[in-house]
Amino acid sequence: MRKSLAITSAKLARSVGKVFNKGGTAMPGLVAERIDPQLLGKLVEHNFPRGVVVVTGTNGKTSTSKMIADIFTSSDISYIRNTAGSNMQRGVLATILAHCNKKGRCDAEMAIFEVDEAYIPIVCPYLQPKIVVVTNLFRDQLDRYGELDSIAKSFHKTFSDLDATLVLNADDPLVASLGRDTKNKPVYFGVSDYIGEKIINDHTADSIFDPNTGEKLQYLQRYFGHIGIYRSESSSFARPKPNIDLVKMHKITKSFSEYDVKTSTYSQFVHLPIPGLYNIYNSLAAFAVGVTTGVHNKTIADALQANEAAFGRGEELPYKDKALQMMLIKNPTGFNQIIQTFLMPKPQINPLLICINDNIADGRDVSWLWDSAIEDITGYKGRIIVSGTRAYDMALRLKYAGFSVKSIHIEPDIELAVEFLAEATKPNHTGYILSTYTAMLAVRSIISKKSGHIVREMSQ
Amino acid sequence: MKSIKILHLYPDRMNIYGDFGNIICLQKRMEWRSIQYEYHTRSIGEAIDESFDIVFMGGGQDKGQLAVAQDLQLKSRALHDLMHQDVPILAICGAYQLFGKYFITAEGDELPGIGLFNAVTKASKMRMIGNITLQSELFGELVGFENHSGETELLEGTNTLGKVIKGYGNTHNSQFEGILRGNAIGTYLHGSFLPKNPKVADYIIQKAMQLSVPEYELTPIDDWLENEAARIAQKRS
Repeated sequence: MRKSLAITSAKLARSVGKVFNKGGTAMPGLVAERIDPQLLGKLVEHNFPRGVVVVTGTNGKTSTSKMIADIFTSSDISYIRNTAGSNMQRGVLATILAHCNKKGRCDAEMAIFEVDEAYIPIVCPYLQPKIVVVTNLFRDQLDRYGELDSIAKSFHKTFSDLDATLVLNADDPLVASLGRDTKNKPVYFGVSDYIGEKIINDHTADSIFDPNTGEKLQYLQRYFGHIGIYRSESSSFARPKPNIDLVKMHKITKSFSEYDVKTSTYSQFVHLPIPGLYNIYNSLAAFAVGVTTGVHNKTIADALQANEAAFGRGEELPYKDKALQMMLIKNPTGFNQIIQTFLMPKPQINPLLICINDNIADGRDVSWLWDSAIEDITGYKGRIIVSGTRAYDMALRLKYAGFSVKSIHIEPDIELAVEFLAEATKPNHTGYILSTYTAMLAVRSIISKKSGHIVREMSQ
Repeated sequence: MKSIKILHLYPDRMNIYGDFGNIICLQKRMEWRSIQYEYHTRSIGEAIDESFDIVFMGGGQDKGQLAVAQDLQLKSRALHDLMHQDVPILAICGAYQLFGKYFITAEGDELPGIGLFNAVTKASKMRMIGNITLQSELFGELVGFENHSGETELLEGTNTLGKVIKGYGNTHNSQFEGILRGNAIGTYLHGSFLPKNPKVADYIIQKAMQLSVPEYELTPIDDWLENEAARIAQKRS
């Protein structure tokens, strides 16, 4: 009774929300949760016969979830999925409510939920996922999430109460260590061959110690941050051999990557039409979920080949006779990945707009700019514009990385900055926009307004 | 002129809030004035076996801090010697805490410090997070970002870095922030601290230069961008 009342009220809240166009996707979740706090668990228990997939980690949650969804679509597995903006408890609940009938029945065979790191201990006991993906763990908005070690500890504790396959990044020591001392089955993904740019001035290696003993790790290969091939000095801890292993990198360009993925039974060529090593990692995580769910390797590769950039993650937006490419930056590792993929490759001439806001959703603390490897692009030749509430902090960071102050165009007003970028971009060329979360939303709405194109909205 | 030797302590473990920005800032401001410098690091198990002109140490994750606290005991003597030689020292966040007399953890354990500062820190349940602005007698207005749950109490005969205009500071209600002892500065401000507070960066460089040339005065640098960034940071707090 309580359950159906909760569902009905939530559905009512949803339609009221729609009428008033408040957008708040978590509102129905809040209403339902007030009436029946156990509702999330009850709904999951009676739905999704093939299981729930949870995707968490610092970077790559949205892109990985999207790739998993594409793989499921290609193999006719029905699923529901939450959006990036609703990755906390109420958002997850609201997503299920939006897809179920009044009796709490949902047609989907599976569910894919990306879950905010801080909400893993709260949400997982209700969701009882069959598969948990951890993409990576980096410093991110320490003012919100707290320190990495405590996050890893909370993951370990939460996972010990699950009966799940853990899809873990073998190349991230802190994530790989979650596969130790667990009754759950770990499936590791990793990159054993790499031919792209490497970050030199890297201050983002957060976890270069054995998480158990504190012993320092030695790296045979280091791709970015603490991601690479490592072992501890005493060899008591080493990178696990990936079950989903990128054994041969054929090509890595600013628009796509090509590589061979090896599993225990076959080798599969993948053409991934979105750039960056970070997206390669996301694709390997999605590949692992596909394999675990029993999807054929060729089907997985086809789905990945049809991939498009997720919201704000490298998508190109048309702007008059030019293109503006949006890249979300939230933390120094994410910033470095963009540097590695787009800004380091020569000739370094695309005009570049960096928008840094310090609203709550961006993180109030902008000190992470100083951990980003700006020194690696000191010779960048394209026009550089900085904007957002912390435009001057970004300008200062560039100055101390060796850029002349005169060469930096400082325009705190995002609309004017976008116009300036468009001016600086030649016809049929691409301008880059790197921005924090709230700045990205502002940039998108400005581009949508100016270009006359309807820009894809966030809800999918 | 001799080269300024910077010592960065535990850069592999105590580097969580953009602390490299402070090193970058010192280096650049020396470079712009054609002052030669060397960058040295010492981490766990590495002795401070020579003299330095600037000592810097940042904050870390709680877990990293425990191993560092133990190792720091072995470096205590050398750091006290450097302090007595008037070597400028900048200790931020975790370093500020460990340079005090002791730290009482959330579990109630006492973690010994090295007593460079006459201060004690206790873990609290509250996390003091946000933009912070100080008024300092020595430096004028200072801006930064604080993120700590330790509350640091200064003991007798100590000077604070400044009075809190906005934010928390040493404790949630002390109204003061940081500590000054001779040429040593302890503070919770990151953001990074030095780039937006160039007066403090220059103070450290000048004190380091004066170790060998007592009358040394730094040539001024155009800091309009630094000051503008600080002004906006102050407005955002």
